[in-house]
Amino acid sequence: MPVFKTPFNGYSVKFSPFYESQLAVATSQNFGILGNGRVHVLQLNPTITEITSFDTADGVYDLCWSESHDSLLIAAVADGSLKIYDLSLPPTSNPIRSLHEHAREAHGVDFNTVRKDSFLSASWDDTVKLWTVDRPTSVRTFKEHGYCVYSAAWNPRHADIFASASGDFTARIWDVREPGSTMILPAHEFEILSCDWNKYDDCIIATASVDKSIKVWDVRNYRVPVAVLNGHGYAVRKVKFSPHRMSVIASCSYDMTVCLWDYMVEDALIGRYDHHTEFAVGVDMSVLVDGLLASTGWDELVYVWQHGMDPRAP
Amino acid sequence: MGSQSDSPPDSVVEKPQNPVSQVTQAAVDDHQNAKAEAAKESSPPSVFVNSEPIREDQVQNAVKFLSHPKVRGSPVIYRRSFLERKGLTKEEIDEAFRRVPDPTPSVTASESVVPNQDGQLKSSSNIQSQSPTQTLRPGPVSPAGSISKMGTFSRFHWSHALLAVGFLAVSGAGTAVLFKNSIIPRLKAWVRKVVLEEEEGEEVLLKENNSKTSLAEEAAAAAKAAAAAASDVARTSQEMLMSKTEEKRCFEELINMLNAQVREMKSMSNAIQKLEGQSNIHGRIPVEGDDYRISQRSLRVPYANGKINDYPQSGISLSLPVFVKPSVAPHPKSYTEIMPMIQRGEKPSNITEINYAPPNPNQPVPNPRLVPMAKPWEVGQARNSSSNVLQSQGSNDALYHEFQDNQSIAENTVPRWERRNARITEIEAVDEHRFGSSNVVSNGRPVPRSWVPPQPPPVAMQEAAAAIRQPKKTFSSSEQLTDNQLLARSSDVPDELQSITRISESGGIVEANGGSLGLNSSEIQREEDNSYFET
Repeated sequence: MPVFKTPFNGYSVKFSPFYESQLAVATSQNFGILGNGRVHVLQLNPTITEITSFDTADGVYDLCWSESHDSLLIAAVADGSLKIYDLSLPPTSNPIRSLHEHAREAHGVDFNTVRKDSFLSASWDDTVKLWTVDRPTSVRTFKEHGYCVYSAAWNPRHADIFASASGDFTARIWDVREPGSTMILPAHEFEILSCDWNKYDDCIIATASVDKSIKVWDVRNYRVPVAVLNGHGYAVRKVKFSPHRMSVIASCSYDMTVCLWDYMVEDALIGRYDHHTEFAVGVDMSVLVDGLLASTGWDELVYVWQHGMDPRAP
Repeated sequence: MGSQSDSPPDSVVEKPQNPVSQVTQAAVDDHQNAKAEAAKESSPPSVFVNSEPIREDQVQNAVKFLSHPKVRGSPVIYRRSFLERKGLTKEEIDEAFRRVPDPTPSVTASESVVPNQDGQLKSSSNIQSQSPTQTLRPGPVSPAGSISKMGTFSRFHWSHALLAVGFLAVSGAGTAVLFKNSIIPRLKAWVRKVVLEEEEGEEVLLKENNSKTSLAEEAAAAAKAAAAAASDVARTSQEMLMSKTEEKRCFEELINMLNAQVREMKSMSNAIQKLEGQSNIHGRIPVEGDDYRISQRSLRVPYANGKINDYPQSGISLSLPVFVKPSVAPHPKSYTEIMPMIQRGEKPSNITEINYAPPNPNQPVPNPRLVPMAKPWEVGQARNSSSNVLQSQGSNDALYHEFQDNQSIAENTVPRWERRNARITEIEAVDEHRFGSSNVVSNGRPVPRSWVPPQPPPVAMQEAAAAIRQPKKTFSSSEQLTDNQLLARSSDVPDELQSITRISESGGIVEANGGSLGLNSSEIQREEDNSYFET
């Protein structure tokens, strides 16, 4: 299975929604504490090679592909800015936009998959901001969390609904048409690092926390989780619902593993990959290829593999 | 956004473009435009809104929490955050805030107590005034009793939270005032009892000190007693821990809380000190939220993270979550080298200064080359077929086939009228691009959809545009054309026109009318359309 070595510590991977063999990786120097960053765009066929890369002055914590433009990439940078890159332009013309409003590190970006016109940024300044590609300033700012917002995720069926996960121990559900959050999920007793919606049931949301667990919630009955997925040895950094299977969740953790879960099953853990030798920080499942996974970590490696295979196999 | 300001020079598009721009704006802009869409989308009440009724007991707990003097002094956001973490809904929190009187140092119930310590002791109940007594009287008042006196707390942690806060507040000067009023005799008795148990000289001294106070020396005595009481409590608690008498056991629970608070404060100051040596200017700490984070954030002193805290299992001890949370993952070796270096203020040598500002911030966003495909979950049962279609970069053939797949399969699942909308949207979007408008193509339209139609590409290639102009050649040079145009072409033209006209009459996507007319009329009439194809 292909592996790619990045010069910096990996932070996030995302498959392109347009090209099944294209992958973007966000990396940061010095573990993202202090230093530069780099965005890599990789080609997966026949082996992993780099198509292009963009250097940044500060670490890149997350990125997302545009759902409307096949060549646009949005990066969340640790200096609080969002940079938009256009792969159809030469590197000297990039980035094409810099959106700098966050007062602290931008930690997450997510692009709207329903209306495909806007994206969210989650920041350590406790806010989530809504942007469109054509506007130089944010459209909305959602300020309610009491601590860093680590992640924001659009609902896959409702164009105006999104969720945010924060270090104030709550996840919130928002409607962009409403001034404030519409639901508050006190999901964990510790910081919530990631959240994601079930692509096939728009009322199910998963939250991943420092408490090593992933909890799956139904927003219609949010006092009690639908499932609690235990198995990680340390904080769960990222959680992602499968785009192809209704109840499958991929997660990566500081225990250096990537796990696959089926939360509807009694014994939920259906796969565990321990290929990383440092914190596994980013994971993604391809929308175009069923079962294709990618992960990256602080060991500066990017793996792409099919579920069921060994990521380290040549 | 997306206002099509450059209207086509052509007279083919006669309808105004405002509805379209409104529709596109509704997607992102303020509420007014989105109301129609919102109403349609949420006409059953949205499941994403909390619909629980307000729970009165939770509101009352919150009111008691908010009424506490210590809580009053904290920023509102931390109070809110605490209540949110306890599971209160927004409505309940708002109701509690409404009920709690404004924070002025007015004394409500416990007037008798507070000549000069107003800020500390005001409270809407006697609870807090009683709690200092509880701290000092192990025998008569058991902790359980004090907890039960705290009112209708439904959960253990509420009482502890309040107890803790109460102790903190009270162990200040408020204790002294109570001493003055009614406690001194009892204190003497207690101290004597303790002394008998302990046979400690310091206790005797303390008692003597306390016994010397008199009402005549109110101010001085209060100050002395306060200091003595505070130190007394600390000392006594330590001593009591050492010996294990029964009375101390009753006492210990309360004292433990105090201790925990002291520990907590010590550890916080430790963390701060540690951080002063360690802190780096950026404060960018790994996210698992270990000690570094709390120290980096220590300025905020968040309640959310700290003092008024979750109820741990023991139900008693309080501490910052950072210090009791799950084990911190071991960091990579080089991380443990770099982190202290940065915290000392040294910059690692491998950093380069990069200016990565956009060279041309006003550069227009180029048009997309590909149609966004329907997501697997949007296509319903067809997801397996659509997801495995291979495609190389920019291969329109493959795209077309896949799209055709999606289309045909979707036809089974999607009502006809929606499909019509889909095609119209595509054509409409094509027109948008032709007019050089913003490339943010929106699907916002006032009909709820279960199938999100892909968006057509703009005319990116002049050859394709030219090909369209010559209808005969279009099918032979289909590789050049993008799929949607092909589909539009392949469908019945009169059908299309009819349906489009229908839609436009109903006030729908008007531009589509003109657009499709333009598209179709390219077969029929000519030349004027040339300008369309300039993007």
